[in-house]
Amino acid sequence: MTAAEPSLQTHEVAPVGIGWRHPHHAELLQRQPALDFIEVHSENFFAPGGAARAVLRQGREHYDVSLHGVGLSLGSAAGIDAAHLDQLAALVAEIEPVRVSDHACFARGSLSSQPEHAVHAVDLLPTPFTHEALDAMCANVQRVQDRLRRPIAVENLSAYVRWQVNELGEPEFLNLLARRTGCHLLVDVNNIFVNALNDRLQGSLQDPLGTCRGWLDAIEPGAVAELHLAGHVDCGDIVIDDHGSRVVPPVWSLYRHALERFGAVPTLIEWDTDVPDLQVLLDEAATARGYAGQTLGTAVA
Amino acid sequence: MNTLMLQQQSLLDALFARPGSPQAAGAVHHLNTWIEPRASRGLMAYQANGHALAERCLPAAYPVVAQLIGQDSVHALARDLWHRHPPVGGDLAQWGDALPAFLSDNEQLAEARYLADVARVEWALHRAASAPDAEADLPSFGRLSTEDPESLTLWLVPGTALIPSDWPVVSLVTAHTSGEPTLAEAGQRVRDRVGETAVVWRQGWRPSVAACPANAFGLLRALQRGAALTEALGEAPADFDFSDWLTQAVHSGLVLGVADATPPPPKTPHTEETP
Repeated sequence: MTAAEPSLQTHEVAPVGIGWRHPHHAELLQRQPALDFIEVHSENFFAPGGAARAVLRQGREHYDVSLHGVGLSLGSAAGIDAAHLDQLAALVAEIEPVRVSDHACFARGSLSSQPEHAVHAVDLLPTPFTHEALDAMCANVQRVQDRLRRPIAVENLSAYVRWQVNELGEPEFLNLLARRTGCHLLVDVNNIFVNALNDRLQGSLQDPLGTCRGWLDAIEPGAVAELHLAGHVDCGDIVIDDHGSRVVPPVWSLYRHALERFGAVPTLIEWDTDVPDLQVLLDEAATARGYAGQTLGTAVA
Repeated sequence: MNTLMLQQQSLLDALFARPGSPQAAGAVHHLNTWIEPRASRGLMAYQANGHALAERCLPAAYPVVAQLIGQDSVHALARDLWHRHPPVGGDLAQWGDALPAFLSDNEQLAEARYLADVARVEWALHRAASAPDAEADLPSFGRLSTEDPESLTLWLVPGTALIPSDWPVVSLVTAHTSGEPTLAEAGQRVRDRVGETAVVWRQGWRPSVAACPANAFGLLRALQRGAALTEALGEAPADFDFSDWLTQAVHSGLVLGVADATPPPPKTPHTEETP
């Protein structure tokens, strides 16, 4: 297995971007607000022709683009879908993104009723933190990196079920993944907090913020390529990472902790449900810039 | 099958088993041997997300079917299709292609047989929206006056589809998307069992549908398979006004240019004519 060449950029000021979703396609192109990058979900632009790809080309003329996937299924024991990887490779070749990322999850496999046919859950399903699962994810990540000829970043999940068979902690699993493949890590701060809140609901931990700080401290700093921030919803009996509201104060607090540990890492504001006015996302981005400036002692643009 | 495959299959089984079915109960029971206790709420969250994706995506690809059967019905249909024909890839825009056949086989919709053909037209429109981009090659039309039409064909815009139907599928679609004809007129055509062939193509970024004139159907079908112009024209009636049709087809963006005809496949011993 060959590790990809490391190419993790260092920054003096944390670059801040926003998720660029359909309701804001036209407005962002018209206003062209000051952003360090925009992020899109890769699969939404897989089609080789049509309006969506054309809009992304226009966005790329004005901004660096981070391609964030939700469907590679990097943890799948059934492997990567070759057609999916072909489409991603074509998109990467055309858009020349500043980063390419996906999740430490699986979605692809077979049903016991039809073992010869692959299905895809189109969701971010947790994979066990076992050595067998690590081997599978390393092989898949390596295959993607070999095809794209660049490292990708792999994101930690909000997980709503936990496997009994875990042999490794999540940070250890991700650190080993990065070491073995040369991939980068994308740390979603909100996901860590959502998991901690759900663990508290299950009665398995008392101090979510302390647990999250410990999680961040266990991640090797040199591998982190991007931070994600988003809102979540508390349903009473479960907390869902719905990307449908502002970042909450405890997550901003964890963001500052992450900056202290990882440095000026590119930071994304995600908002995917009930997408508000573009200005709300820009305000959240400005808040992130402000915290980064305070935490790292750099001037805020 | 290794342990990881079995673990992942157990979660996929639990998510895609039809809710309330014996298979669902068995799948959850099996999954519970792998996951931590008190995971039922989390499993419900994943199931609900799958249903929400299905309910959002199916009406987006089939807006006229959704209007014809109503929101509650299309959401129920989406959930049912999600379990019977799960996605096979990570690009959700590709999910839903099984709907026309699913509607054809649905006994509850036996009184609305036209729905399956409407769905076929809508899936063709959905596919045309993301077909490869192509620009017209107007100078290529000069080849029509300088080269042998045996070796030429007309280049149709990518995404073009022809959908014959025993029902007024074009009227049903356009009545809901543009108001032409009126819903009452489209309903009358259904009662009169007026068959229409839909031609679907993309004008710029916009997927379009129109009724294919009966005298142009054979020509278009031949052009779709890359037949030579002479062969394609042989599929049209003797009084067909090719010049007039071509002018309109170029103007609408259906025909983009003139290209080399696809050579016919080599004859095999089974198809060779006896001397």
